Amino acid sequence: MPAIRPSSKRKAPPDGFSDIEEDLLIFGNKMKDAQNTPTDNMPKHQAQWPIFQIAHQRSRYVYELYYDKEAISKKLYEWLLKNGYADAMLIAKWKKQGYEKLCCLRCIQTKETNFNSTCVCRVPRAQLKEDQDVQCVSCGCRGCASTD
Amino acid sequence: MVKSTYQPSPGALQPLPPGWTEHKAPTGHTYYYHAETKESTYKRPGAPPPAAVSAAAPMNPAMSSYVQHQTVPQINLSDPAVANAFMSQYGQAQPQQHGQRGGFGAGGRGGFQPRPRPQPVDKPRSKVAIPGCEPWILVYTKYGRRFAYNPAKNASYWRIPEKLMPAILELDQARIRQKAGGDTTNQRQQNEGSADVDKAPTPAVDEQQAEAAHDYDSSEYEEVEVTDDEDAEDGQDQAGNARKRQRTEEPSADNGPAEFTEADIAAQLAAMGAGYDDDIEMGEDGGWEEGDEGLALSDEDARELFKDLLNDFNINPYSPWEKLIEEGKVFDDARYTVLTTTKARKDVWEEWSRAKIQELKERRAKEEKKDPRIPYIALLQEKATPKLYWPEFRRKYKREEAMKDNKLSDKDREKWYREHINRLKLPQTTLKADLKKLLGSVPPSALNNQTMASNLPPQVLADIRYISLDPKVRDPFVEAYIQGLGAPPEAGEAAEQEDEAAAKAREERRKREKALGERERAVAEEKRRQEKKLQYERGRLRDEELELERAMQVGKRGLQSQLVGDKEP
Repeated sequence: MPAIRPSSKRKAPPDGFSDIEEDLLIFGNKMKDAQNTPTDNMPKHQAQWPIFQIAHQRSRYVYELYYDKEAISKKLYEWLLKNGYADAMLIAKWKKQGYEKLCCLRCIQTKETNFNSTCVCRVPRAQLKEDQDVQCVSCGCRGCASTD
Repeated sequence: MVKSTYQPSPGALQPLPPGWTEHKAPTGHTYYYHAETKESTYKRPGAPPPAAVSAAAPMNPAMSSYVQHQTVPQINLSDPAVANAFMSQYGQAQPQQHGQRGGFGAGGRGGFQPRPRPQPVDKPRSKVAIPGCEPWILVYTKYGRRFAYNPAKNASYWRIPEKLMPAILELDQARIRQKAGGDTTNQRQQNEGSADVDKAPTPAVDEQQAEAAHDYDSSEYEEVEVTDDEDAEDGQDQAGNARKRQRTEEPSADNGPAEFTEADIAAQLAAMGAGYDDDIEMGEDGGWEEGDEGLALSDEDARELFKDLLNDFNINPYSPWEKLIEEGKVFDDARYTVLTTTKARKDVWEEWSRAKIQELKERRAKEEKKDPRIPYIALLQEKATPKLYWPEFRRKYKREEAMKDNKLSDKDREKWYREHINRLKLPQTTLKADLKKLLGSVPPSALNNQTMASNLPPQVLADIRYISLDPKVRDPFVEAYIQGLGAPPEAGEAAEQEDEAAAKAREERRKREKALGERERAVAEEKRRQEKKLQYERGRLRDEELELERAMQVGKRGLQSQLVGDKEP
């Protein structure tokens, strides 16, 4: 999650930024809070979960504004991507069939796992055992298969 | 419970000797300063040495908290002489120990404690002459305590002497009556001392009197009882004195804010239920579920109602759905429940936000855009001089809003600046002719004899020719030109059409709201009917049960008696 550029160091935002500025600020504050929370008393692998989750939410927000609601201009969308408000790689996956709800890129990275498989959160609920409660190690996702 | 009026206090402080002044240190301590000798001390100058030290000194630390609460050191008060001496001393001659509640427990006054803790100072606030016992007066203090004072003998007693008791009782009763009569204004400054009396009206006071009489043989003073409410009052008075507050634990138990009523919990549960939303319906009264079966609001209406709700709460259509849920403003509205599932709500919200954003876009497009050139041109008029080159001008005024506007390119700015500077050198007549040409190019719908000189159309304001002339020359010229123009053409009908559309939307909305109201009423009606039915059924059941019971009571005489019994009535 690259940091968002400070407003003094970046180009001025295109039109329409003022509409979404407030919500982006809320996301930014949430992210800061998550980054500053001490992680002493939690398992090591859980320390980054909130960071991943907020990054996902924010990317989703930008994605929906542009692709679903068509509320922002292409210029603004690209500016947002460039300035780190959304993860372009993640959004690129969301456009692919079967990955519409993908939680994070680490969860489809098969090369990093022992059996060369994706994360458990990618398994559709129908194929899991009854009442099996999964939460993936990398981002705390509880299931992001498209069919869920 | 007997509530004693005994409430300890340091009483009045002696006046300072001449030359001494009293000050508050930043730490809250009071200190005294002599301006001439430049001497400063924490001890109140001119005070007599404390008398009852020996009595108060041995202090068990475990007792201290008790003592703080009880406020009276371990002195054998049963001996009237000791008690009297102590009381008089305790009451008035205790200069450096303001509000000795806690003072004794914290090490006494034997000098163990070089810096006294900042403690609240109780002061006499008002006094009342006691009718019938002339020299005596009853003094109320700041913290609502009171004591009897005899100015003739210069003696004061926290424990009110027996001979004054009836007179003071009468006084109290008179005051209660007065208060009940609604005459409260002049009682204000009589303060909380009366609160004591209010809460424990006459019977308690009588009781107290009885007890006083009972105790009289053993001592002149009865057992000390400190009432809780006095503590609470103290706690409120000294909210700032946190240390003190900590040590007296009583008040927090009394009037602590952490008291949840059932209603609070219910409200919280409701809020939580709303938060988890979904199929758990809002109302536990079950009003909606019943209504939903019988006379459902049409799906379309429900959706529209929900959209109205979103409109009413000024939801930002750009915000994410999660924000709406987290804020939870909309949960309390009845219209939130017309859709039963969160999924449906989210669908409607999505539809609404899409439409709303589209609408906003259109409105913005229609709205006449403020020309970014106008402020820049105005700036040029004000600041530009032939003395400055463009880079100089840019550097000098880079903080101006018009110079920072990113809608104009720097190139354009430079171009206009140079043009403007060049035009300033032209003769007046050419400039006037140019301005006339500019004004003439504006269509009559924008510029006519109704136009105010201060409200010229933007195409004029944004033109470089408009600012070439000096405003002193230009304004009269423009005004004269406007006077010579014709009347404006007829206004367009577009505005009317818009009004019509708005009225239509309003009308539809009213209809929907009416439908909602009707639905609510119908639901209530249905509920009432069901309740009635239930009651009726219950009654019948009871009757049947009774009948059964009667039937079961078949005695030894068997069926015969039953038959006879049936026949008889």
